[in-house]
Amino acid sequence: MYNANKPDPSDLPSTARLLKSTAIAAVTAFAILVTVVLPAEYGVDPTRVGSLFGLTEMGRIKMQLAEEAAADGAAPAEIIVSEHATDAVVQATSVEAAASDETSAAETNASAPAEPAALVWRDEVSFTLAADAAAEYKLVMKEGETATFEWFTDGAKANYDTHADRPGLDYYNYEKGSLARQEGTLTAAFDGSHGWFWRNRSGAPLTITLRTRGEYEEMKKVL
Amino acid sequence: MTSVRHQPRGALARLFSLLIALAACLALTSLMSTASAHGVADGDKGYIQETTGFLFAPFVYLGAKHMVTGYDHLLFLFGVIFFLYKMKDIGIYVTMFAVGHSVTLLFGVLANISVSPYLIDAIIGLSVVYKALDNLGAYQRWFGFQPNTKAATLIFGLFHGFGLATKLQDFQLAPDGLILNLISFNIGVELGQLLALGAILVAMGYWRRTRSFWRHAYTANVVLMSLGFILTGYQLAGFFLV
Repeated sequence: MYNANKPDPSDLPSTARLLKSTAIAAVTAFAILVTVVLPAEYGVDPTRVGSLFGLTEMGRIKMQLAEEAAADGAAPAEIIVSEHATDAVVQATSVEAAASDETSAAETNASAPAEPAALVWRDEVSFTLAADAAAEYKLVMKEGETATFEWFTDGAKANYDTHADRPGLDYYNYEKGSLARQEGTLTAAFDGSHGWFWRNRSGAPLTITLRTRGEYEEMKKVL
Repeated sequence: MTSVRHQPRGALARLFSLLIALAACLALTSLMSTASAHGVADGDKGYIQETTGFLFAPFVYLGAKHMVTGYDHLLFLFGVIFFLYKMKDIGIYVTMFAVGHSVTLLFGVLANISVSPYLIDAIIGLSVVYKALDNLGAYQRWFGFQPNTKAATLIFGLFHGFGLATKLQDFQLAPDGLILNLISFNIGVELGQLLALGAILVAMGYWRRTRSFWRHAYTANVVLMSLGFILTGYQLAGFFLV
């Protein structure tokens, strides 16, 4: 206060000016609320100005994510996929549940001389995602096990999130991105469920196909 | 300033403000988005992670939102303009602050500076304490000299910018379109700052015309200092406990 000056009345705004400023502030705030904040937070766009700037899309996505987060409270039902392998690409060399049999079966396939190097997939699943929909499939693996995979869409890129979970750890990220196709191997960092989350933001239905083989107990559909 | 007659009212005002600040802190923590079981964040972070490329208006909006809801930035700004009455002075100081936080916002995100957000936010809390003490004339009283207020605003602005940068780093922005998005975000921060400043100045305009302004200016800055300490304590607790 020792370095502060009491305001000189001529420095201060007059009552009339203050009231006018308050009115302008209130009107501006309302305009911003309706054209910017409502679209960007809630996807509500009465004046269509928000859509012009792409803000309504932001609000729409945020509302959808909020709904999904709320619905996430209920534990998702896990459906075992391995027993329902759909495609003939999966060989009839039926793989038993025991891990040792799986490894030996894979080795047998690899050394089969008569066949050309045809890929034998253990599990394959194909699904169609509506615009903005998501899906998630995971492999139950022990630490250090390696699975080989490929997944691809029927055109547009899909946002994917390769991650894992186990009791006590909700989310462990391997890789995130946006691709139309990916192939590679997945090595489990710990005992748990390891796999992929896909989100279709292409604006049109998207079909994704996932194929896996290697060291895992089973594939399950999480979402 | 320290007469017995004033103290009970001053103490009450202080207590009331402390309670409001606490409520604000709690309310704000509940607004922070969390990741769901699938690792999909919701809110602004979720939106950022679901989109790619250069998105002008959404990033401008996010920048403005960060500033308008950034109560630590707003408190510092309030402290800076508290005793500034001429628009020219206000313009100079706000520009100092804007330059400071723009530089470190851009630098912090592009150079991927890795500092604990809690530490940065604690320093920002201390910037509020510094400004409140400056307004009280404490430095002249204690040390016999007045640190350059413009320089202080610029330097603390640098720390505020790092604070903004850590929030943005938390979003895990895609490299695609990063620089343009960052510039848009910065534009938004300045727009948000102007909006907040306008509201503060209208309110101050009313208050300064009353006698209570000069009478309570001292207490108001003590309250500001308390809020700064609360912010600092809250962030330091986060640093050590989280």
